[in-house]
Amino acid sequence: MKSGSVLLERAAPLLYWAMLIIALAILLRGHNEPGGGFIGGLVAVAASALLAIILDPAAALRRQPLAPLRLAMAGVGLTLLSGLPAVFLGLPYLTHLWSGGWSTVLLFDLGVFCAVWGTLTGYLYPLLEADPR
Amino acid sequence: MTADHPHAHAEGPNYLWAALLPLTAFLALVWGINQHALPWHLTLDWAPSLGLAATFRVDGLAAQMLALITGIGALVFIYASGYLAHEPRSGRLFGMLLLFMLAMIGAVTADNLILLFLFWELTSLTSFLLVGWKHEDAQARAAARQALLITLGGGLALLGGLILLAQIAGVWTLSGIVAAGPSLHADPRLSAALVLIMLGAFTKSAQFPFHFWLPNAMSAPTPVSAYLHSATLVKLGVYLLARLDPAFNDLPLWEFSLVGIGTLTAVWAAVLALRERDLKRILAFTTLSALGTLVLLVGLPSPGAGLAVAAFMFAHAMYKAPLFMVAGNIDHATGTRNIDRLMGLRRLMPWTAAVAVLAGLSMAGLPMSFGFVAKDVIASAKAESEVLALISYATVLVNATAVAVAGVAAVRVFWGPPEAPPGHVHEVPWSMRLPPLLLVLVALEFEFLPNLADPLLVAAAQSISPGLGAMQAATTYSFEGTLTALEITLGIGLLLFLAWDRLHALLHRVHWLDRFGPAAGYEYLLHAIPRLAAWQTRHLQTGRLSHYLRQTLAALLLMGAGLAVLSSATPRFDWPALLAWPPIAWAWALACLLILTGAVSALFLRQRIAVLMASGLIGYGSAVLFLFTGAPDLAFTQFAVETVLVVIAASVLPYLPAAKALPRPGKSLDYILAVAAGVATFMLLLHLAGMPENTELAAWFAAHSLPEAHGRNVVNVIIVDFRAFDTLGEIAVLAFSLLAALPLLAGLRRQRAMSSGS
Repeated sequence: MKSGSVLLERAAPLLYWAMLIIALAILLRGHNEPGGGFIGGLVAVAASALLAIILDPAAALRRQPLAPLRLAMAGVGLTLLSGLPAVFLGLPYLTHLWSGGWSTVLLFDLGVFCAVWGTLTGYLYPLLEADPR
Repeated sequence: MTADHPHAHAEGPNYLWAALLPLTAFLALVWGINQHALPWHLTLDWAPSLGLAATFRVDGLAAQMLALITGIGALVFIYASGYLAHEPRSGRLFGMLLLFMLAMIGAVTADNLILLFLFWELTSLTSFLLVGWKHEDAQARAAARQALLITLGGGLALLGGLILLAQIAGVWTLSGIVAAGPSLHADPRLSAALVLIMLGAFTKSAQFPFHFWLPNAMSAPTPVSAYLHSATLVKLGVYLLARLDPAFNDLPLWEFSLVGIGTLTAVWAAVLALRERDLKRILAFTTLSALGTLVLLVGLPSPGAGLAVAAFMFAHAMYKAPLFMVAGNIDHATGTRNIDRLMGLRRLMPWTAAVAVLAGLSMAGLPMSFGFVAKDVIASAKAESEVLALISYATVLVNATAVAVAGVAAVRVFWGPPEAPPGHVHEVPWSMRLPPLLLVLVALEFEFLPNLADPLLVAAAQSISPGLGAMQAATTYSFEGTLTALEITLGIGLLLFLAWDRLHALLHRVHWLDRFGPAAGYEYLLHAIPRLAAWQTRHLQTGRLSHYLRQTLAALLLMGAGLAVLSSATPRFDWPALLAWPPIAWAWALACLLILTGAVSALFLRQRIAVLMASGLIGYGSAVLFLFTGAPDLAFTQFAVETVLVVIAASVLPYLPAAKALPRPGKSLDYILAVAAGVATFMLLLHLAGMPENTELAAWFAAHSLPEAHGRNVVNVIIVDFRAFDTLGEIAVLAFSLLAALPLLAGLRRQRAMSSGS
């Protein structure tokens, strides 16, 4: 499904990367400022949707780190893993650990980000691809 | 192996080594019993913050069950390595058998109720997989499903009963509940708890009216039948009842239910056994009969009953497992289990014939067998507790049927008129001869050297009847009276054996048993479920979104009205606060303008995509409100969610029928519903605004967010830290919803490909 507008098609990848950077920034600043993995993930979905609608779903898929289902499962896996280090230290599961500015919270939030991004694009691409129009 | 062996062409892998695992466990158990006095305890931390510990406890009863599980397990594994030698998928069966064994070991050693339940359900699940092992056979699939539905249904009842019992007693361990014993009797909830637990135990141990799953489970391979459905799994219900018996055996509800249901099951199964021609199913019905007798014995209040349960549980496993192996050998060698076509196998299968005779002796309770000892102990237990005469007569019939079935399995099949059986018959390999032979020889040894079995049996009996002293147990072996009773039983049994064919013909014609029995009830219910589903799908799931919306709104309104009437709360409207001028008035005005514009234009627009975007405006309006009233995070999320929702909904729109324009709302009912829902929501909001706010939790989160979780954004800290486990669950649901939706989405793509191709 091509939009037919050269300008849009040229601008779409640039816009996509810009939005993805913003999404990551939202993810990173989320612990102290408004933001977080969930919102960041939604912005990433919007970025992917932009590409998928202006160019086509395959183009959006190419620029994603993993295919949607894998991305979603990897996200769930990351959040699951982020709770493990505490267990090895004898703390309850999912007790977050901090060292300087880094923490297992970031891993957890990255997991949420990926789960949202993967799941929603997983719904979106097949719907756009099989468009009956 | 000769070339003309029927299966010689396909040699599967040999899993004989797998028998080492149960064998090692068995030897460890024997060593442990010799070295350390029972009971053994083991406590592991599970979830200390919930006060939950994984406690295991092995007393006499558990040790006896463990001996059966691992000892018979080892022999069954050896047997299975021969039985399945030509089966390419046998690895899977051995894996499931091992898993089942572990679940059984867990179930009989668990002291914690939740742990017991988990292992209990795992045995049901592995039983399902094992019964349905020949999954290409529709009958095996139906039998597996039946066993699963009935035992899991009972498991659900058991869970409820265990939770209730733990709440009454205040402890989560079996030993704690038994120790609390009589002090629980006053609680009014106890009856409900006990009925639920009995339902769980009765379904597991196949008591009437849930008995029918056990004979049907005979479509499992023979090693499975010998292991699960005679020696171990089906004894688990009896085990739990025996475990709880010390606490409740003087309650009339407990005693009458166990004695009543046990007797009914024993007699009913004895009658039904006469209707069968399949050797394995005949044996299954006598297993039912034995399970009924065990439940009856648990229910008897006398201390001797404990010994009777222990002895009979042991004796039954020791003769029934070999008999199942005999049936398996015959099936393996001749290709049939129909007793009409099996005659005079003695010369062709001498080893199997010897096993059958020895096991048959024990089953019939003849002298020189362990079954005789068990029968004797049972008789003394009944004499002690002065049971109703009716129950005594019932047991005579049950025992006589056992004698007759023993005759069929040991005499008729092997010593009958020497007709040539069909096909080429051969004796089975040693791996199928040795295990049953070992079992019957061990049982025989226990009869001659009771000192070997006594310590274990007495220890088990004392866990069931704590009042039983060691000396008392020894003197219970009195052979007076047993001989006359034996003569009567044998006489009737012999008559039944001789009249077997005629009785069978008579009972076979009683068709109402098939039409109105519990099995028929199960079938009816099973077919009623899809009918009910079809009915409600036709009437409620119309596939029209407008219908769904109408139903949802109507249901919500009804529920709201019902709640309002029931709670009889008068709505509280805090008018001064509601009418006060808000602090940032222009932001409220902007939000209201956005929301109103969205709502009104959604009413008048006719294009679907336009309506969708107008409704998105409503979401933006509330986001504006959040932004200026101290919830920038929520506003941010709301903007993002609203945008993505509109994008995804827009990509779904083309799939809706008549994609272009909306149908005009015509029915006045729709207007009434819409207005009512709007008014109700408005009233609810007004009421909520007047409610006193509980800010305790919010204050706690605000105070602890930075010092404990190093984050200033309280909302995000709650999501990723304080309530991280909830978030984990939510994103897992999100991701798995995609997994469930993918086939549907793939269906869309296929449809598209087909319509574009044509």
